[in-house]
Amino acid sequence: MTIRQRDNLIYGGIALGGAAFLLWIIPAFSPPHPGYGVSAALLPNVTVGIILVLSVLALIRNFLSYILVKRKKPEDVRAAVASQAEKVHLWHLARFMIPCVLLMPAMKWAGFIPAGFVFMLVIQYFCGQRKPVSAVLVAVGLVGFLYAAMRYGLGVPLP
Amino acid sequence: MLEVIIAGFIDSLHPLNLLFVLIGVIAGVIAGAIPGINGPMAIALCIPLSYYMSPVAAIGFLVGLNKGAFFGGSISGVLLNAPGTPEAAATTWDGYPLAREGKGEKALRMALYASVSGDAFSTVVLILVAAPLATVALYMGPPEIFALICLAMTIIAGLGTQSILRGLIAAAFGVLVGTVGMEPVSALPRLTFHLYQLERGISLVPIGIGMLAFSEIIIQLERHIKLGSAECALSFSSKPEDRFISWTEFRGCIKTLLRASIAGTVVGALPGLGAPVASFFAYDQEKKRSKNPEAFGKGKLEGIAASEAANSAVVGASLIPLFTLGIPGNVAAALLIGAFVIHGMIPGPLMFEQNAQFIYAIYGSLIIANIFLLGVGRIGLKSFCKVVQAPAAILYPIIIFTCIIGSYLAEYSVFDVKLMLFFAFIAYFMKKFDFNHICFIIGFILAPIWETSLQQVIISSQNNPYMFFSRPVAIILMVITFYVVIKSIRGSFKKALKA
Repeated sequence: MTIRQRDNLIYGGIALGGAAFLLWIIPAFSPPHPGYGVSAALLPNVTVGIILVLSVLALIRNFLSYILVKRKKPEDVRAAVASQAEKVHLWHLARFMIPCVLLMPAMKWAGFIPAGFVFMLVIQYFCGQRKPVSAVLVAVGLVGFLYAAMRYGLGVPLP
Repeated sequence: MLEVIIAGFIDSLHPLNLLFVLIGVIAGVIAGAIPGINGPMAIALCIPLSYYMSPVAAIGFLVGLNKGAFFGGSISGVLLNAPGTPEAAATTWDGYPLAREGKGEKALRMALYASVSGDAFSTVVLILVAAPLATVALYMGPPEIFALICLAMTIIAGLGTQSILRGLIAAAFGVLVGTVGMEPVSALPRLTFHLYQLERGISLVPIGIGMLAFSEIIIQLERHIKLGSAECALSFSSKPEDRFISWTEFRGCIKTLLRASIAGTVVGALPGLGAPVASFFAYDQEKKRSKNPEAFGKGKLEGIAASEAANSAVVGASLIPLFTLGIPGNVAAALLIGAFVIHGMIPGPLMFEQNAQFIYAIYGSLIIANIFLLGVGRIGLKSFCKVVQAPAAILYPIIIFTCIIGSYLAEYSVFDVKLMLFFAFIAYFMKKFDFNHICFIIGFILAPIWETSLQQVIISSQNNPYMFFSRPVAIILMVITFYVVIKSIRGSFKKALKA
């Protein structure tokens, strides 16, 4: 996918999302007008309207520049492709997000220290740690320190 | 009167007060460097500790904490591109590129000197001109505040991104998220999707941690794992010119420091705007004034100087409306009201009559905290640099776990952790698609005061459509805003068509 195509998809998606907000979400989840001041839906409608207008402007701008390039230099119509660093790596994202999402339920089920310890081992493994002794020491050290700080230092309830 | 002033300053030099100010500064630097813990949070956690201190020591400790946190936020920002606090985000634009070149220590030194300079400037202003400056702040009514926020968002939307359209979309998205919670007039839930946890609104902490720190770590890990560790190895040059700031370089930044300090002081004195607005505004102005603005964002010392001086200048300036009018300039100042009340004092104009010696003792503590910050920063610089040289496989998991616990600690809520992960997910895509997450955060921060000022204007004018025309300052600000928006959109179209 070229950068231009990706941009068009993004702006198109934003425009559709903006329309969905304006037509359905904001009216459904905003309280009625109390009779004075401005309506609760005004600011959300204005901001979503701005988002919608700007995304449509961006699509028009992309279309106009595409037409101009096509007329003058047809061989340049194929725009640059996104580099490796600019691409979205969904598997990489999921690999780190899933343990983070599961951490709090695991703490509730197993306790702060066991869940935190296992979490740290898993995340270190995903980050490329292959030395078990270092991994265990870091996990024990950090989880123990935070447990002590929260329980005895700050006196806050643990998750 | 002179005896009272001298007595106040002598009170601040009591050894116990000095000790607590020093502890506050050190704790603040550490807290600010950890993503998720910022000055206001550190103050909130430590207010109970201040029960056991004398009033001067307590306020000195808490103010030292706040000052340290402002500099601390730039440490993780410069060295890891994951600012500990939102106001340090602009510092990363030039700080992190310098760190990637092996000049991380140099970048941190400039951040430290700028932080101390900005802080010192606003402290002097606080001491000398608090009352007249507060009356200017009083003149800013709801129409002026509404217009000023419109202008601030427009200026900030153009920062850190090649497209102002994307910046404006991100800022508008941030405002939209800021409207989640209780509607300010009717106090009914709005856009809460029937989740009771959202009725109190979304806190800045999960957004700040998720978007600034967590998402950045995920992206850096991507580079580390997929593209090879050499891509993100952070080394430090041993050459003196790469480690220290020469007098010539510092002299070249003096005007920048002065302008940014003034900007930060003015913004800090206006309740509600906050340090992020000050730092981005100062950065933008410095970039526009520069002879080679294209160098900004690639390791320009002036960029670091402008951002840090402005955000640190807010610390002292935010106490101006607090001391003179009893109105806190920002969250930290609001928390300080609690500390004042605990020790039997009510901030406001009467403080100068009833507790003048105490006020001057606080001024003394502010100056001392500044000096301590310089010392702590200089001594701690090498330690900070050593910490980030730890292997990525050890450093990043520690930061990830700290981010999660940090977002829980804000309000002891697991829901905040979920929010943090959600916004980290959003920020990942925003960064990939060049939508500036900083604009989002600024929009989110300013949304409540923007809407409140709009509501106040509408209600007080009884729906008069010509209400703004009776406020010349508001009109001028709105005209400038429209001009900036139209010019930027036109420029964006011209650039795209030329390319």
